[in-house]
Amino acid sequence: MNTKLLRAQCAVAALILLSGCDDKAADPSTQYGANPTLPAPQQYILPPMRIALAKGWGTDQAPSVSGGLAIKAFATGFMHPRQVYTLPNGDVLVIESNGPKAAVYRPKDFIEGKVKGLSGSAAPAGNRIILLRDTTGRGVADQRSVLIDHLNSPFGVALVGNDLYVAATDALLKFPYSPGQTHIDAQGEKVADLPAGAINHHWTKSLVASPDGTKLYVGVGSNSNITENGMAVEEGRAAIWEIDRATGMKRIYASGLRNPAGLAFEPTTGKLWSVVNERDEIGPDLVPDYLTSVKEGAFYGWPYSYFGSHIDVRAQPQRPDLVAMAIPPDYALSSHVAPLGLAFTQSSSLPAQYRNGVFIGEHGSWDRSPLNGYKVVYVPFNDGRPSGPPQDVVTGFLTSDGKAMGRPVGVALDRTGAVLIADDVGNTVWRVSSAN
Amino acid sequence: MAESERFSGKLIHPRVVGVAAALLIAPVATDLIYTETLRYEWNNFSIWLLTAGLILAAVAGLAFLADMTRRRVPAIAWDRFGGFTLAALLSLLNAFIHSRDAYTAVVPDGVALSVVAAVILVYLGWRGWSLRAVSRSGPTGATKFPSHSPEVHS
Repeated sequence: MNTKLLRAQCAVAALILLSGCDDKAADPSTQYGANPTLPAPQQYILPPMRIALAKGWGTDQAPSVSGGLAIKAFATGFMHPRQVYTLPNGDVLVIESNGPKAAVYRPKDFIEGKVKGLSGSAAPAGNRIILLRDTTGRGVADQRSVLIDHLNSPFGVALVGNDLYVAATDALLKFPYSPGQTHIDAQGEKVADLPAGAINHHWTKSLVASPDGTKLYVGVGSNSNITENGMAVEEGRAAIWEIDRATGMKRIYASGLRNPAGLAFEPTTGKLWSVVNERDEIGPDLVPDYLTSVKEGAFYGWPYSYFGSHIDVRAQPQRPDLVAMAIPPDYALSSHVAPLGLAFTQSSSLPAQYRNGVFIGEHGSWDRSPLNGYKVVYVPFNDGRPSGPPQDVVTGFLTSDGKAMGRPVGVALDRTGAVLIADDVGNTVWRVSSAN
Repeated sequence: MAESERFSGKLIHPRVVGVAAALLIAPVATDLIYTETLRYEWNNFSIWLLTAGLILAAVAGLAFLADMTRRRVPAIAWDRFGGFTLAALLSLLNAFIHSRDAYTAVVPDGVALSVVAAVILVYLGWRGWSLRAVSRSGPTGATKFPSHSPEVHS
């Protein structure tokens, strides 16, 4: 055979084979805080798929905690628990949820869905809210009931007075709740429709009520990684909505936030904060996920740019007018950690070094080697702003050979000030308290 | 009509090679439309065309093997074989490129690969889709496979 031809063939074949090993990931610590190191974007040949296979916990296994802390299972045996929420009487809500069946628009959607399924993301979910009660105060739930059943991929919950709000994937619902109730039969009343539709790529709708209870904030993720499903389906997405409780009026409070999967108010300043999942497939160190205060009316870049004016050429046609307005977020958590939940700690009963900051549940990366995230970190605050690098608080979710026994999602403080963590691969709610 | 095609009766693979090639040539059009309109659907058309074309290219490979085992290919046209294989490999690479998200799935690497693969396939296809070598005096084994067998217009 013609040797030139043979050489060309070998070159193409080698390019495809080698492309699987082209990431050289940096140390995540170079991407903490206000000024993360941002390398030049790279374009992959093979889509980066570097998952941790879901394994689950063995008997007597548990995550590890840093010094001065203790961990044990608050309750086990869930179906894909994603969020935890503490009611004023101490009852704990666990939201068991998973997304609707993903649409397949490209061969990649199909393959990626199958691969991510191996990491536990396709596990069957209850799509309901479980109520747990610890009647003995020993840090273990001894009563359990289904508070609300048959929800459409619920994620965020918020109680204001006697109104229990549930952010299902397609609507914000309101249920009547009275303290001590263990089951709600009433149908949810729809407060507002939320963007869902056939694709519904980032399906979770995070939810928080303002401290005065007059407004509700809903985090709505984008309908794609980076507009590969067109801009028409991004209407109202990659944004935080503000909904007036009394009138149901809604507006976009802030935009350009690719997937604001967790929302919380910082208690000393009363400001809204969010953890946001940034875009994938332009490198193991791009783009860092972040924690940020959310400024009213601000645009944070997605899809056109990231961390201010760093252009993403994949979003076309470009919008220099919007890029000029884009503001950088406050605090990078490093790339692909997938922060899905946060809880401020001012009312925590953990040791003093954990009482002025925020806990963040990092679900963990699927497109980066080595893996990043798969832990709960603490970001210390001072005067209502982050004041140091994230500290590992709960780790050990991975085996030494890179399988996932658990993956943390939502975090919340319980009535005693201990930290509760929803683990959607381990199907457990963990409770972290002071060791003594 | 080229000789290689006139005497390709009873060969299976040229029929499949032709259809696979058509599917792997088509992304030139959908990629150019994407480049012009930036509508994501045209990238999706390209990737499905590439996927279908590659599946048929694999089937064509099997058909060629079948033709060989049935002793219908006394000699292989190695240059054409190499050219088709290169086009298939480039299209495979292009399928991965087209699996990127949004613009860089097509511009500039994707559309460039589509054009290169299409040029190779159109050039080779001009002389038919058979991989059987043809001697100057006539097809090898022509007496074995008389020309009254049905012709294949792939």
